[in-house]
Amino acid sequence: MRLRIPLLYLLLAIVLAGLIHLAAVLALPSVAPKNAFARLKPLGDANVMIELPPVKPGEETMPMQAPDVRYAFCRYDLSGGPVRLSAVIPDDLWLIAFYTPKGDNFYAVSGADMRRGKVDMIINETGQPVPEADADAPEEEEVVVVESPLKEGIAMIRAPLSGASRSARTAEALKSATCAPFAR
Amino acid sequence: MRTIVFVIAVFAAALFIGTGSAWYVIDHGTPLTTERIGPWASWTTEGNPIADPYTKAHLARSGRLPLTSTAARYFVARTDSDGYALSASCEYAIAGPSINARWWSLAVYNDQGFVIDNPSQRYSFNSDELLRHADGTYRVNLSKNARPENWLPSGDDPDRNLVVMLRIYSPRVTDATGTGQVLPDRLPKIERKSCD
Repeated sequence: MRLRIPLLYLLLAIVLAGLIHLAAVLALPSVAPKNAFARLKPLGDANVMIELPPVKPGEETMPMQAPDVRYAFCRYDLSGGPVRLSAVIPDDLWLIAFYTPKGDNFYAVSGADMRRGKVDMIINETGQPVPEADADAPEEEEVVVVESPLKEGIAMIRAPLSGASRSARTAEALKSATCAPFAR
Repeated sequence: MRTIVFVIAVFAAALFIGTGSAWYVIDHGTPLTTERIGPWASWTTEGNPIADPYTKAHLARSGRLPLTSTAARYFVARTDSDGYALSASCEYAIAGPSINARWWSLAVYNDQGFVIDNPSQRYSFNSDELLRHADGTYRVNLSKNARPENWLPSGDDPDRNLVVMLRIYSPRVTDATGTGQVLPDRLPKIERKSCD
């Protein structure tokens, strides 16, 4: 009988420790104060394309950014309706990735998967009616509808650099990428 | 009285063990979440919406915004191939064969994940700019002082610990879930050459 009470306490400690462990793991994504979304949000308004400055010591937006990738992002907010992202894809290496505020990359497409030329992506909240693409859009234009699970999120364009001559072209193409509310 | 002491002790122990173990697993991962090959660690479902809670917590804490594991794979090394912490006071040769992917890049950071100031403004080498040997293999020299071939400067602060990241965009081999696969023998070895 004397042994049982400490054993009970031990069991209680183990169960409690397990619960605290689980709670800490599950809560962290919601409470992490410096996740990527929190780092990108102060850089500018929603629904505009913002280029990240090239990586330099002391001037990085996020840890472990690729020094040889140029980034541009659009923090979209669909509360006013769909948002359109347009870009001219210069090469196979480009990647356009869509994230929830917690950093879940729910959609990603590479330059190699897309037809060359201008690409139009319409970001639409899942379950909302899909806006009709312009019927008279030029032939070479590719329209992709991206279903976002939440009203807010991030679209990030990654333009890997490869050689000095192509880098200038990549930087140029990135500057021409746009993000804006979709108006018909 | 004894009961109160016991209860407090139980709560304190539970708090310590619960948060400590959570922190450890989120930081280091387990074989279920994290692939470990030599000095390299990779969270296999990083960025993926189907990722387990540990991977999601790891990601939130890191402040990074990685591509989902079906579009890219990230491998991080904090030690050399013998298990010693990477230090700016040592010189390393990072050597390996070519990797079957559309594009990949090897970058060095300080232990906070930020690039290291150096006069040649060189922070990484990618698959398109790397100088290679005739058989397709390469060697990146990670050191304070300039070296031939591919020199990746580690800066002049000898107390700095280093982190090397290998990012692989669009690996050409994938498993059934679409997660990019990088064969273990494709990952470079990190050999310590000398230390100050």
